[in-house]
Amino acid sequence: MVSHEKIQSENGVFVVSDSKKMAFISLNNVDVEFHVDADVPRTLKSTAFQFMRPKRRSPRSIHALKSLLLTVRDGERVGVIGPNGAGKSTLLKLIAGIYYPKAGDVEVEGHVCPLFEFATGFEMEATGWDNIRTRCLLLGMPPKEIEEKMGEIADFSGLEEFLDVPVRYYSSGMLLRLAFASSTAVEPEILLLDEVMGAGDAAFMDKAKKRMDGLMKRASIVIFVSHSLDLLSTFCGRTVWLHQGRKMGDGATQEIIKSYKDFVKVSQSLSSDNSPAEAHIRQED
Amino acid sequence: MLQSNGNKTMRAVTEAARLWHIWLRIGLQDLRTRYRRSVIGVGWIFLNMAVLIIAIGVIYSNLLGQELRTFLPFLTIGLILWGYLTSSIVEGGNAFVNSEGYIKQIGLPIYIYVFRYFVSITVTMLMNIPAFFLVAFIYSTKFRLGTLWALCGLSMLTVVGFLMIAIFSHLNARFRDTGHMASLGLQVMFFVTPVIWPPDIIRSRGLNWIVEFNPFFHLIEIVRRPLLNSESAEIMNYLVVFILIGALALGAWFLTKKYNQRMAYLL
Repeated sequence: MVSHEKIQSENGVFVVSDSKKMAFISLNNVDVEFHVDADVPRTLKSTAFQFMRPKRRSPRSIHALKSLLLTVRDGERVGVIGPNGAGKSTLLKLIAGIYYPKAGDVEVEGHVCPLFEFATGFEMEATGWDNIRTRCLLLGMPPKEIEEKMGEIADFSGLEEFLDVPVRYYSSGMLLRLAFASSTAVEPEILLLDEVMGAGDAAFMDKAKKRMDGLMKRASIVIFVSHSLDLLSTFCGRTVWLHQGRKMGDGATQEIIKSYKDFVKVSQSLSSDNSPAEAHIRQED
Repeated sequence: MLQSNGNKTMRAVTEAARLWHIWLRIGLQDLRTRYRRSVIGVGWIFLNMAVLIIAIGVIYSNLLGQELRTFLPFLTIGLILWGYLTSSIVEGGNAFVNSEGYIKQIGLPIYIYVFRYFVSITVTMLMNIPAFFLVAFIYSTKFRLGTLWALCGLSMLTVVGFLMIAIFSHLNARFRDTGHMASLGLQVMFFVTPVIWPPDIIRSRGLNWIVEFNPFFHLIEIVRRPLLNSESAEIMNYLVVFILIGALALGAWFLTKKYNQRMAYLL
């Protein structure tokens, strides 16, 4: 494992704007745990009748992240790779303050702008305009700024007169445009991206990509989860490799990608027709 | 980040409270959304109220041998306050479930969704109050200085409303059938609580305990009595409400401590 201090000196890209406080992320020995027991009762009724069923094992939990150490400083563009279930999205949600750590410290300095799970978070009865307002408010944009940017957000969404209509009449593509346009209008300090590029039709994709590029350039810190190794090499100087909640590597993107590829190759040859994640589980069993 | 547990629980609320410019706006926007879709807009609240009051008022005043002059104002304020408590529990209980999309995407302290529902539910109730004054004016109910006790009662009632939303939003996220159970319970309570019948009727038949042990009665009484009689409610009423607030606060604190940080997993 390459230590981050070293990376810092290698990459040395500091974007310092004097008015702003320095953005900063520090995770110190962080554990995140999920309860995955499917039998946990979800209703009062089933809780009340639980005693009638045979005694079950104590609830299982899986470690989504295990004793993770990570420091990200102002100016860094950090990519995150790993197979499905490695804890990549969990890491983003932890930094965003959506998940809380079971153990360890999370310290985040700077305004966080999360861009993931675009398909949810709408007031179905409210109009497109009101949904833009709500989302921007929740993302921390001051009301005055929202009204100023309203026109631009509406333009970018390309929804035009549909904005006057309650969003429950929208198609999923239109909802996505709305969410993308308003979420990306925020000036982020810490930008958290979870492969949002696969959004909308081709014409919108192009626009979205350009807007995203601009956003990534302006943010003080970018954490970018992606399966596209090309995208990571273009955007991120540093990459963190997660596997089953543990950090497997952390360093210059090219090096990490190389060892990640090697690892995938090895695990594939160990169990020829399985995905790397499954292969690894089998080894541990 | 290293905090004692109790501290963390309090901070879950205070940090959200500090973001009032967010929840106040969204709460009021919710209110606008609700009435924009109907042709007569906010007037719908009044119409709804008027139909209910006339229907129940005419039938029950006859049934119970009450004079319309005193019964209609009594009924109007009772229904408004009862409606407030019900929507705090039923509608407010969805504060987190309905905000799932935001909670899983945006890392704001989730109590802002409690405050948001509190704003829209409480403002709806306040917008209903003029309906009472209209009825009171028609039947020339007298208002004196003692009427101001209603403000004291009203503020205690909103505290209860807030705590109800906090409790049921957490419970509902954990046990999805809480809402159904609560509305079932409330339906029963509606007939046991003196809203559409005056408490004196049951007192005269020696069934006093039905009223005295019913916290909803005391909650309504601390606002209703000052408005109808221009005097403070009984000390007993305030005492019960104080104890109730304490108990609810304890419950809300416990649920917040247990589930607040796990909300993103629960939903």
